Amino acid sequence: MKLKNILSIAVMATLLVACKHLDVPSDAQMESRLPKIYPDYTEVMVPANICPMNFAVQEGESETIARLTSPGGTYIYGDNQKVLIDETEWTDMLKSAKGKEIKVEVFAKIGDKWKAYQPFNIYVAEDSIDEYISYRAIQPSYVAYEKLSINQRNLTNFDEREIYNNMSVSSEKVGQCINCHSYKNFKTDNMLFHMRQGYGGTMIVSNGELKKVDLKTDETLSAGVYPAWHPTKNLIAFSTNKTGQSFHTKNLNKIEVQDTESDLILYDVDKNEVSIISELDDELEVFPTWSPDGKKLYFCSAHFEYYNDSIEKSAEMIQRYDEVKYNLYSADFNPDTKEFSNVQMIYNASDSLGQSVTLPRISPDGKYLLFAQAEYGCFHVWHADADIYMMNLKTQQVQKMDALNSERSESYPTWSSNGRWIMVDSRRDDGNYTRPYIAYFDKKGKAHKPFMLPQKDPYFYTFYLRSFNRPEFMIEPVNITPQEFAEKAKEDAIPAKYADR
Amino acid sequence: MNKKNNHRRDVSVEIKKPPLAKKTIEENQKEKKKLTITKGTSLCIAIVTVVTVMALGVYHLIVRNSDMLFMAQSEGFFTSNSSFLSECMHHPGGFISWVASFLTQFFYHPALGSSIMIALWLVSILISKWAFKVKAAWMALLAIPSICLLVSTIDTGYWLYYIKQTGYWFYGTVGYFLSVLLVFLYSFFKKKSDCILVTILMSLTYPFLGWYTLLAFLYVSMLSITRMKATDSTISKILLPLTPLALIGLVPFMCYNLYANTRFEDMWTVGIAFFENNDMTSFTPTIPFIVLYAVPLIFPFLPKKVENNKRMAWTVYIVTIAVLVLSWFWTEKSDFQNYNYHAEMRMYRAAEEQDWDKVLDEMGNIPGDASREMVLLKNIALLNKGEMGTRMFKYNNMGEPPTNGFDTLRVHMVQTAAPLIYYYHGKTNFAVRWGIENSVEFGYSYDRLKILARCALVHGEMEMAKRYLDILRTSIYYRDWAERLLPIVEKPELIKKYPEFDSVRELRDHMGTVLDGDNGLCEMYLLTYFSQTMNKDSKLLQELTLNYALIQKDIQLFWPRFFLYAQLHQGEPMPTHYQEAAILYGNLEPESADIQGMPFSDEVKKSYQGFQQMSQSLLQSGLNSDQVAEATKSTYGNTFYWFYFFCRDVHSY
Repeated sequence: MKLKNILSIAVMATLLVACKHLDVPSDAQMESRLPKIYPDYTEVMVPANICPMNFAVQEGESETIARLTSPGGTYIYGDNQKVLIDETEWTDMLKSAKGKEIKVEVFAKIGDKWKAYQPFNIYVAEDSIDEYISYRAIQPSYVAYEKLSINQRNLTNFDEREIYNNMSVSSEKVGQCINCHSYKNFKTDNMLFHMRQGYGGTMIVSNGELKKVDLKTDETLSAGVYPAWHPTKNLIAFSTNKTGQSFHTKNLNKIEVQDTESDLILYDVDKNEVSIISELDDELEVFPTWSPDGKKLYFCSAHFEYYNDSIEKSAEMIQRYDEVKYNLYSADFNPDTKEFSNVQMIYNASDSLGQSVTLPRISPDGKYLLFAQAEYGCFHVWHADADIYMMNLKTQQVQKMDALNSERSESYPTWSSNGRWIMVDSRRDDGNYTRPYIAYFDKKGKAHKPFMLPQKDPYFYTFYLRSFNRPEFMIEPVNITPQEFAEKAKEDAIPAKYADR
Repeated sequence: MNKKNNHRRDVSVEIKKPPLAKKTIEENQKEKKKLTITKGTSLCIAIVTVVTVMALGVYHLIVRNSDMLFMAQSEGFFTSNSSFLSECMHHPGGFISWVASFLTQFFYHPALGSSIMIALWLVSILISKWAFKVKAAWMALLAIPSICLLVSTIDTGYWLYYIKQTGYWFYGTVGYFLSVLLVFLYSFFKKKSDCILVTILMSLTYPFLGWYTLLAFLYVSMLSITRMKATDSTISKILLPLTPLALIGLVPFMCYNLYANTRFEDMWTVGIAFFENNDMTSFTPTIPFIVLYAVPLIFPFLPKKVENNKRMAWTVYIVTIAVLVLSWFWTEKSDFQNYNYHAEMRMYRAAEEQDWDKVLDEMGNIPGDASREMVLLKNIALLNKGEMGTRMFKYNNMGEPPTNGFDTLRVHMVQTAAPLIYYYHGKTNFAVRWGIENSVEFGYSYDRLKILARCALVHGEMEMAKRYLDILRTSIYYRDWAERLLPIVEKPELIKKYPEFDSVRELRDHMGTVLDGDNGLCEMYLLTYFSQTMNKDSKLLQELTLNYALIQKDIQLFWPRFFLYAQLHQGEPMPTHYQEAAILYGNLEPESADIQGMPFSDEVKKSYQGFQQMSQSLLQSGLNSDQVAEATKSTYGNTFYWFYFFCRDVHSY
């Protein structure tokens, strides 16, 4: 047979396969329950610009067909167990279903019989979501770090690229940890992340210009750790922490990350100056966050008195790890004078509830404050009992966000720039790997059922053995290339000056 | 006169020349038969070379290193899921990693994996012969890269646990194969402009082959020099060899922006195996790779006219014999045949498969001192067989830290067997910890995933277990293992029907929870933790605490655990080692416990008295402690008191 003939047959066969016509089975037996799908996208509210919500049907080793019906048309998909939605068709569906819903009917072939499951809806919000998120891709490790990267993902499609990869400068002899990426007002022309140990320093992009600074001064506990960009001024509030880790022998939380000491500092980016915000004895101040108008700084603080002089603080902290409980505070801030005043506790979780508050984040309209709460400690990503709570800042009433929570750890809540979407880091999937879950937050202040960040391959999360750490919304991508960051990372950090208040 | 003269002349011709001429023709014919290369002799050389490569491969891989190759695959990982390919492709040369990882899994059956490897070497020899247009007579030289690859597989020693190159075991083999394949494709083109175009197109393979594309450029450059003709234009003469050389500099430079996770300087070397950690760099295991890369550079220059050439024949024979002999010598010398290194792997596999008898058999066969890992695995086996009290000190409990010998690599148990050792001690949180930490450092592996899956099942973290089992299900050789355990995910109570989890669950269930850490020292942590634990609810845990108190040689820790053991095992015979400890401690510190009424067996009493008498008399005769230890070992080396007095200077690592 001539090569030409073989090629012709191959092309025709390919076309035939490609043109395989999908149709829903007419003789399917009805099941009075929802199908088991992964990720669970049943009855979720999605942004008007989200990427296709691909999912897998987990009804045994089945063949699957899904019919998606929107006001604009009906589409049928099926690829063994997977439902992989065409991006163009999905965009059309979203457009036509804005403010309405897309009905999803799932059919699965079990043995040689088709079953039809109770249909479910994917509700399409009127509101869009910020186009990007960024997160740190990290294995849920304890001490070791190696292959870390900060990635940015386009939520309107499946494009993802690395903002910075730790291995771009790491060698066997010189390694470092990267962490705490942060943006000013959801934009990327003012952003930062830290590098610890080898090539240590804080990479700061200020008005598009990249520099590397060393925020550790003789007068401060450590370099800057948890950051918060001031919304209007070129200032960043940081916590400074002396952090340690220890390991549970049996408790399934497995690890405790504790601060034996912590304070708050303010960094003036333009002047390269560090000053103390708060360094009270017996107080562990941490997790600063600004109000949207920049006139208040919120933070967490735990009152903890060391009373055993015979052992080191870190050893006593390990012994009394479950006594460390953080409360929520606010301080007034004058952006012109950079003065803080009127520090007050706005939520006493420790005494009244025996709980600990971490990771506060305020909605862009300044009305609500989200935070994580668990029985003790400051590292709630490892605490299965950690849940998301919300404070109405006007009434100071706190409510547990049941829609966002699960039996496993929820932490690191963030708001989208329009305040209509909440993203939380959740371990509900398996208890070990954190995944970003996004929930609609309606105008009445109610959070809806969250959905896991969609991926092109619905089984992506099964094989992706890394956590999505510190997911943050961004309205634009980071345009500095990883290589530019890498080149800067290799330079010596500029030491910050200390300014006495 | 003339006739006479003529006759004389003829005679003289007959006398002087014909015998000489006759001899020369015969000798020449003989010499030709002996010393020239014919097609037949070339074929013989090729066959001998191929057979030698196969024989060395089979001998060193299958016969001598099966245990190591099995461990190599269990330390590796491959899944057909696109995420793994995508992760591999984050580096230049990622495709080789992917293929190499795929092939490494066949070392599950070491003979199968080795056969694939040897086959690839032979194919590479053949392709390199064609690519560089080398005569079969030079086959031994063509085989040198294969020998290098063999050496690079068997010389790693304990680097096996520390190698970070994904798919290392097949990486060089696949990389070299693809490199010569590129040269082979290049060699098809004769037109100069086509050659340059093809060379440039080869750049497209850089993201897939990384360093091995650059290596192919180097070979192409050498090849192009030998293909030059006097009639070629000057431009051709410059461009043909220089284009690939220029591309070696340019391609990685231009591709740098495609790779966020590769250092700029590594763009030219990514794919070369380096043996370094934060403590040290080892040059020895890199040597075969240097030879591998360098030797093919001479292939294009090997003489083409070898047949019917006496001088060349000598050269060919000498080179062939030298290469084959040196190959044998090099592979023999490089093969890391440290007894403990291999025995550890066999013991680890047996322990992993809960074949406790095999663990103990291996321990019993050790000719010298064991490693601490082996001692711990032996203790685990005895614990699971319920024979700690009767057999623990019957084995050699001395332990030496593992060493490579050829470098100063420091092996840490937390990076080798600690996850499994912690698991069998019921310290599943710590098993998870080191399973994950090592995955961060060295990548996920089948072995780590199996331990993580087991721990998740014991913890009742069923979704977590399912994730790990689902990943293992995508593998060729661990699918059955994963599917056997999957029913537990659906019905957690089924775990009770899997006896393999019984002891781990019992130990874990009866353990308290505290916040602490092992400071990277698995054995020291276990000894401290269990020797200081008191538990009366689990006989298994209680016996472990008693035994670890024995190992700690701590009299104060011993007595309460000893009495608790006696209380929990009323009516049962007291195991020999516990009697030995009691009689020793009772005599050493009579105030610590009253042993007068204890029903020691006659054997133990007699043994103890004999030991005391013998050691005392030897000491009095002027022998030092070490000499007494050696002298008493054959008779009392299997007792606790010998361990107590003479098992010292054990270095945990």
